[in-house]
Amino acid sequence: MKAARKSLVVPALMALGMMTTTSLSAEELRFTVWTGSDAHLAMLNGIAESFKETHPDVTVRFETIPAADYTQKLTFQLAGGNPPDLGWIMEDAAPTFGAAGVLMDLGPALRGIEGYGLEDFSPSAMGLWVDGEKVYGIPFSTSPFMIFYNKAMFDKAGLEDPLALAAKGEWDMDKFQQVSKALTEANPGKWGFEFKDGQGYDSRIMHALMPPIRAYGGNAWTNGECGFDDPEAVAAVQQLHNMVFKDKSIVPPGEQGDYFSGGSAMTINQISRASKMPEAGFEWGIAPLPSGPGGESPVIGQAAIVVFDQGKQKELAAEFLAHMTNEENVATMAQFFPPARQSVLNSDAFTQSNELISAEQMARVSDAIAKGKVLPSHERSPQILAAMAPRVDALWKPDADVAKALEAVCAAVQPQL
Amino acid sequence: MAVPATDKNSARFLRVPRLALKHREAVEAWLFVSPILTGFLIFFLGPLIAVFFYSMTEWNLLTQQAAFVGMENYADALSRNPDFWHVVRNSLIFAAGLVPLNMALALTLALALSRPFFGVVFFRAVFFAPVVTSAVAWAIVWKFLLQNEAGAVNQILAVVGIDGPNWLREPDWAMAAVIVTRVIKMVGLNMILYIAALQTIPRDYEEAARLEGASNWQIFRMVIWPLLAPTTLIIMVITTIGSFKVFDHIYLMTGGGPENGTLVLAFYIYEQGFKFFNVGYASALAMIMFVVVMVLTIVQLMLRRKDMQ
Repeated sequence: MKAARKSLVVPALMALGMMTTTSLSAEELRFTVWTGSDAHLAMLNGIAESFKETHPDVTVRFETIPAADYTQKLTFQLAGGNPPDLGWIMEDAAPTFGAAGVLMDLGPALRGIEGYGLEDFSPSAMGLWVDGEKVYGIPFSTSPFMIFYNKAMFDKAGLEDPLALAAKGEWDMDKFQQVSKALTEANPGKWGFEFKDGQGYDSRIMHALMPPIRAYGGNAWTNGECGFDDPEAVAAVQQLHNMVFKDKSIVPPGEQGDYFSGGSAMTINQISRASKMPEAGFEWGIAPLPSGPGGESPVIGQAAIVVFDQGKQKELAAEFLAHMTNEENVATMAQFFPPARQSVLNSDAFTQSNELISAEQMARVSDAIAKGKVLPSHERSPQILAAMAPRVDALWKPDADVAKALEAVCAAVQPQL
Repeated sequence: MAVPATDKNSARFLRVPRLALKHREAVEAWLFVSPILTGFLIFFLGPLIAVFFYSMTEWNLLTQQAAFVGMENYADALSRNPDFWHVVRNSLIFAAGLVPLNMALALTLALALSRPFFGVVFFRAVFFAPVVTSAVAWAIVWKFLLQNEAGAVNQILAVVGIDGPNWLREPDWAMAAVIVTRVIKMVGLNMILYIAALQTIPRDYEEAARLEGASNWQIFRMVIWPLLAPTTLIIMVITTIGSFKVFDHIYLMTGGGPENGTLVLAFYIYEQGFKFFNVGYASALAMIMFVVVMVLTIVQLMLRRKDMQ
């Protein structure tokens, strides 16, 4: 009996010992992201798997936090002493996180890796993420905002689509207004245009206002001076206002449009959203943003991979970051996330990387990255947006005085700058 | 088999000293209350004391830098920040709109559904269902219903010739819309409390009053309403506290807008603490809200007690 018991206990203890040894030698990196897309996560896990070739004991766990709560929940993890090892961060959070000193300087680690090619990332793309010699993040997505259009609705209205108009050099803000109005008239109960994800009046104020303001040659702020009440910005927003309330061609405040289910003929979004299009069930395409009096002025949304300074495995995390952003993996990610590496951006591999988007359209994406500017960001971005929001609400009324409303926006924003 | 303790020694052995018994009872009592007491200390009193200390610091959650500032955060809120008083005003409007509407509707429904009739269970379930419905689903559905032109509410109003407002985009109408949708969601709970109270009132009282020639209104005013007083008090206190703490509904339906028209205290605290990471200031606001709600509750209890005397 005793012998039988011993025969059970000894292997059990050995197994426990082996498990303990395994758990001690194996290392896990926790990586926060905001995507929940199966296609995106499969690609990320594939990159993590390839890291095992050089680091067989290292696993990477991608943890999805929804985009709307991302910065907030990440901050709680940092404040609560439970930092992830790596994470994505958005352009509007970059100055806040950088100033707070929570990001690891990756410069020494990346410069020490032979063949990494830090200089392959264009200086304009790295602008938000470097401070002198210090490197706080590597952009994995430098994604311009593009016009997504519903080809069937253009055909029904007998209109040339934006890509064809852009090819002829006729795709400007005036044409955009004309086309939107014609589309609304030809498709009763539907709209010509919808702001990004239908949230242009609340959580996506900047995504709604910045493309036309930049097209008119204006800016949100420059050198600490608010630019929303500059003549260029006023003219741009006045045109949007006319489209919403006079032409009734943009989904107005208080209504739900939804481009993806055919409720609007055009919207603005990034190519990562193309993965949603096969479910839409209509023929579609992407085109550049309309140009304006200020010329072509693409607007870019950017996100980077960072290593958190409080992390317990910073060096290992930096190694994984280097692996994830090497030329090969950047080319892999380019199908969803347009790259900041010039060697990949200028290659045929990029224009042919996304099976849903034609090479001609991807060339437009590449062009927009080269010419575009990242959305405005600031150390006090959350406060600026909160101060703006009620004043922008006052703007979106049929009888609003646009110039006065934008003066009020600047009066609210200026103290935060 | 039990043996009777006839032996003197056994009897002495079994006798429990009075003091020891008292002690033992005390220990047992403490053991019984210790789970709830532990929970109270860890999850209520501890955080409350911590929030009070945080409220006297300027603490940035992201940088983890904190400095003791005494009562500065309270002074900021009460005398230097005009947003605070705007938010307090909104909270008071929300409570003043929600509490009477909720209670009046709950009582009306309870009076209609307290007596048995065919289908009463179905109607009770219908009015109670929103209480157990997900707040997120509720808000999304109402956002669709309250659209300007495409919304069902305005389309129905249009049938009877009324041009409905853009409910969630005009500050005053947005406040009215969140109050009414909140009332519809939560009224079932108060209705159940009132039904339970109505069913405890003996039918004899009503019959006696009727024999005396009292009308329905007189029976309600002179018999039922006074007997419902304890329940009314509880409902009023709970609903008032709930209306000051409302967060999810605002977050999901208006985000505090338009033009800060629905920015109420709990949502403002969330913005300060979790969007701007001003933990010290947010804690001071939370303490102010705690005091306001506590004072209101005490005042209600006192007024009611005076009324009952």
